[in-house]
Amino acid sequence: MSGHSSVTLVQWSTLGEAQRTAVHLMPCEIEYNGPAQVSQYLTSTIKDRKQEKTVSFRGRGLRGAELSCPQGYTGLVLKDVNPNASDQEDRTVKVSSTFDKLTYWNLETPPNSDDTLVMSMDWPELAEAIHGAVED
Amino acid sequence: MDLGDFEADNSVSCRLTSEVPDVCRSEDCCLGIDEAGRGPVLGPMVYGICYCPVSRKEDLKSLKVADSKTLTEAEREELFQNLSDAKDYVGWALQIISPNTISTSMLQSGVQLKEVFVDTVGPAEKYEEKLSQRFPGLEVTVRPKADSLFPIVSAASICAKVARDHSVKGWGFTEDLGEVDKDYGSGYPGDPKTKAWLLKFLDPVFGYPQFIRFSWSTAKRLMDDKGFAVYWEDDDEEENGERAAARMKNTSMLTYFKSSTGSTAPGNAHQSHRFFTERRLQGLDAL
Repeated sequence: MSGHSSVTLVQWSTLGEAQRTAVHLMPCEIEYNGPAQVSQYLTSTIKDRKQEKTVSFRGRGLRGAELSCPQGYTGLVLKDVNPNASDQEDRTVKVSSTFDKLTYWNLETPPNSDDTLVMSMDWPELAEAIHGAVED
Repeated sequence: MDLGDFEADNSVSCRLTSEVPDVCRSEDCCLGIDEAGRGPVLGPMVYGICYCPVSRKEDLKSLKVADSKTLTEAEREELFQNLSDAKDYVGWALQIISPNTISTSMLQSGVQLKEVFVDTVGPAEKYEEKLSQRFPGLEVTVRPKADSLFPIVSAASICAKVARDHSVKGWGFTEDLGEVDKDYGSGYPGDPKTKAWLLKFLDPVFGYPQFIRFSWSTAKRLMDDKGFAVYWEDDDEEENGERAAARMKNTSMLTYFKSSTGSTAPGNAHQSHRFFTERRLQGLDAL
């Protein structure tokens, strides 16, 4: 991506066939992109108590919560159509799946309203107040 | 032995106790502590305590309890049954520490304690002094190989070992893995069967089911060698620094959401408001 202002194209036609999917935002970086046995290892071991979910990943305790996309927004998972393209070429991505809520996980700390992701959901409402059409 | 309470949720620790014999509330008692499953890379660790009136020590001896390690599984089962049959004067309690948890705790049940015998691998004198200070009024004896010296510790070791064996054998995997081959051997890292099992059941992303102790070096090494690398925010600093640097060179997903270089050239870059930086929100005109 350096030095070259390439264009990113989103193939919106793929939105229609994209499946709704469960999304987990992990508090770690996994050096891997591709399919994984999420339902076998993760989903099946999640414990759901009142305000908080718990699970462990690679022996670390995670505490998480479900978070909905802001009203009127849809989450998109995008995938490179040509993953081996050089960064000199324009980039084309397709919508591989969509989500309207996700589960985000903190490492050992309970989910709370100060979590970056939770706070970032304030923006659409604020943006609407700042940039929205002014009614008479 | 009924492990129902533990099996209902084997990701957390569980306390199993016998009824406290009435005589143990009114007479001075001795108590032995031992553990089973400290070394294995898989399954729970179990602390066992066993207690009886000091006056009944000889009766306990006549049950022919011995160090659980010198007994076969069948002999341990039989001796545990004998201990259960002696419930009018022998009580026990077990703390099953699930591989998914690290915790310890002590007994608090109204038993009139007088003497305590503890098995140790560490410096016995130091621990004995520590425990004696912590529990004044108790005669604390800490000895290496206490499980072969004192019948009450042998009894505790049998309780612990039986519980550990049962829970490993009957382990209910919460993961949805279908039929899991339970031929994992003793669980000790040196056991070829355990090694083979660990190799066979390694998932490159998730590593292992919760049954495995992820903190054991055996498991760590295998995941490092055969699994995908995973980086946590609290990984050691130096490595984190390198990772952060690598991230800046667009290896991270976050660079996805960075505006293209054109608009962030030093000249026309504008300082984002704290509202946005705190929320890690960035404007986006190309991926």
